[in-house]
Amino acid sequence: MRGFLDTLQGIKAKGHTLIGCFPLYPPVELFHSFGLTPVVLWGLEQDIRDLSISDRHLQPYTCHVARCLTEFVISRASGLFRALFMYNACDTLRNLPEIIGSALDEESTLPIMRLHVPAVSLDHAYAAGYLQDRIEGLTAELENLTGRSFSASAFNRSVELYRRQRGLCMQLEERQAQGSMSFADCAEVLMAGSLLPVEEHIALLEARLRESAGTGSEMHGHPGIMISGILPPPRHLLEVIEKAGLTVAANDIASLRRSYAYSPAPATDAGAYYEDFYRGHHPCTTILPSADSRAEYILKTAREKNVKGFIFFGEKFCEYEYFEMPHIEQMLKSSGIQCLCLEMTDGGGEQIAANQTRIETFAEMLHT
Amino acid sequence: MPSEKSPEGFKKNTSGKRLSSIIMNDYLTLHKKASEGAFVVWIAIIVPAEIFSGFDNVVYAVPESHAALCAGKGVGPLLCEKAEQLGYSTDLCSYARIDLGTAFGGAESSPTFGLPKPDLIISNNNNCSLLVKWFDVYHRAWGVPHVLLDIPFCYENQSRADFEYIMAQFGGLIRTIEDLSGQKFDINKARESVKLSSRALKEWKRFLSFATHRPSGITAFDSFVQMAPILTSRGTEKLAEHYRLLADETEEQVKNGIFPVPGERYRLLWDNIAPWHQLRKMSSRLASLDANITSASYTYCIGALEGEYEPYEFDGKDPLQWLARLQNFSVCPHGLNLRGRAMKEVIGRNAIDGVVFASNRSCKVYSLMQMDQMRHMKEELGIPCIMIDVDHADVRKYSEETTFTRLEALIEMIDKKRSGAPA
Repeated sequence: MRGFLDTLQGIKAKGHTLIGCFPLYPPVELFHSFGLTPVVLWGLEQDIRDLSISDRHLQPYTCHVARCLTEFVISRASGLFRALFMYNACDTLRNLPEIIGSALDEESTLPIMRLHVPAVSLDHAYAAGYLQDRIEGLTAELENLTGRSFSASAFNRSVELYRRQRGLCMQLEERQAQGSMSFADCAEVLMAGSLLPVEEHIALLEARLRESAGTGSEMHGHPGIMISGILPPPRHLLEVIEKAGLTVAANDIASLRRSYAYSPAPATDAGAYYEDFYRGHHPCTTILPSADSRAEYILKTAREKNVKGFIFFGEKFCEYEYFEMPHIEQMLKSSGIQCLCLEMTDGGGEQIAANQTRIETFAEMLHT
Repeated sequence: MPSEKSPEGFKKNTSGKRLSSIIMNDYLTLHKKASEGAFVVWIAIIVPAEIFSGFDNVVYAVPESHAALCAGKGVGPLLCEKAEQLGYSTDLCSYARIDLGTAFGGAESSPTFGLPKPDLIISNNNNCSLLVKWFDVYHRAWGVPHVLLDIPFCYENQSRADFEYIMAQFGGLIRTIEDLSGQKFDINKARESVKLSSRALKEWKRFLSFATHRPSGITAFDSFVQMAPILTSRGTEKLAEHYRLLADETEEQVKNGIFPVPGERYRLLWDNIAPWHQLRKMSSRLASLDANITSASYTYCIGALEGEYEPYEFDGKDPLQWLARLQNFSVCPHGLNLRGRAMKEVIGRNAIDGVVFASNRSCKVYSLMQMDQMRHMKEELGIPCIMIDVDHADVRKYSEETTFTRLEALIEMIDKKRSGAPA
């Protein structure tokens, strides 16, 4: 796959108007309905090795996702994006808009749109009402930005496209779990959805599903594991996992499964749609009301997929993930599922050999 | 004014002794009432404790405050280790690790024998969402209900929509406490509590105002220590009275020419949470350099609106509205511009010579934007600034000599600026 910047420049050259979205789960359908192409700014770590600009703004104990995002936006996004968007996904990301805003060249005006998504259950009427108001406000900003009025039919078309995309992601994941492709290849295709226009990603998914139809794998029958984290580990670690004779039977990765596992029912009302989207969202450590259901989901899935092991690829400095992990680990171990916790500091570039050894040892343990 | 010198030169005055008595009494009363069947609530520091005064028998504990006390008493690392042995990462906030260590087997090491188990936990996320995840640990372990107050982050002053959203949540919270405790909420009692809080905060600001004097009538270390009862005794007569006496005593000392750093030549501002394990050491060592940290963003924001300094006074009407409006009275809920606005005001008001940005590994929300804030202060005000590495409650992540090398460099920078030498 081409690098992130090259890919985006290519997309822009085709006439797309890009909006850079901070992770994790921005309202992409809404942006798309206004003729914008949303790009979710994660998965940059393989492209961004030099963080010297980000390091002038962010403390060294900031997570790699935020550092790469900041580096990319400040140093390379000039002229690339029409606007940026963020919501209150986490304590780190909420601090970035002003940091980035003050760092960008004074000549360039890059609007940064913000949204507060209620961190309490949307079953509370006041929270649902508050979100709907915020979505209305965001819609008004988009009308101002694009010069277009909100169109219920355009929104519905965008919703349908993203439903299709999510459904295809689930199918590809299922195909991979059956052994038709490696998880490394599968993850690469799934992650492409963060930067490709949704139409192109749908075409890519469909093509991969066609190519992998009817193919089997010698991996079938190997011990299954579940992997978890914010981003998939780097390719070389996924290859180590499969070379060690393990199959990724399920994933709880924020940029993968957590992103596409839930699709709200089609709607023409953006406020109602996003109320459903955030209320029903697949459990994630960053969606605070879903904490209880996340543990249940992991255990249920682990049992359904008959996984023998769970590997947590912890994004260093992500408190959301690390506060839940001891509980998840204890719960899984008491169900007979072994756990391995690995710390990802710079997308997994450091400690390659150490992580490889630990995965191989873990695999040996599961094989016995 | 009666005072006594400790061997290290630290003066313990009447207010200091009174404070110790208040804090000890607060914890003793908490344990006693809990054992007698009071409804116990654990809260994050900004949760409006005055609401509990509207009930007959609701008591509250503040785990962050307890963790600060543990750090100050030197048991922080021991309690952190207990949490780490349970699998909690050393990268997590040291307040949380101390609290988890206390709750899961370390109570005998706590100076207050820990905290009574809660019947309800209330967090809010404008200081940080980490708190929510931390409190969720107890929710899962003990099956205790956990209510989150969702307070939107402030890039600008609090909006009307956010204010109404917070008010709606307060209503929900009150109903929850009524349902769980079987007690009825009396808004008139809450109003009286809010009046006392407003009075206390006015006196608090009066106490802080002695930092304008040259030499300063206070150190920031005084303010760090004296802020404790705002967390544990909010909305009480004893708090209002204590701060009045504290301000009076400080005024008297200033009139009588008694100053914490009599030879003060360098007036500094501290940005971040207090380094609880270093209060006495750091203040003494700075005093030996004729340096005084007179002001701290951690304490000057208390009682004020976003980006402001003056106290937000209660008009006597709706206590819940006052509490909702003041839900951001800490620094962490404020964006870069708001923090900068307040800091510039204090730098001018208190004639600050230099700023110490304490980059705190355990508090990303406070520390993340410090590099840009430091740059802005240098560029806009031309004021010498340094950044030091600390952890507010885990002394294992602090190096005294490295810190003082930089503090001494700051003093040199101030001298250089005064001499007119090029930077």
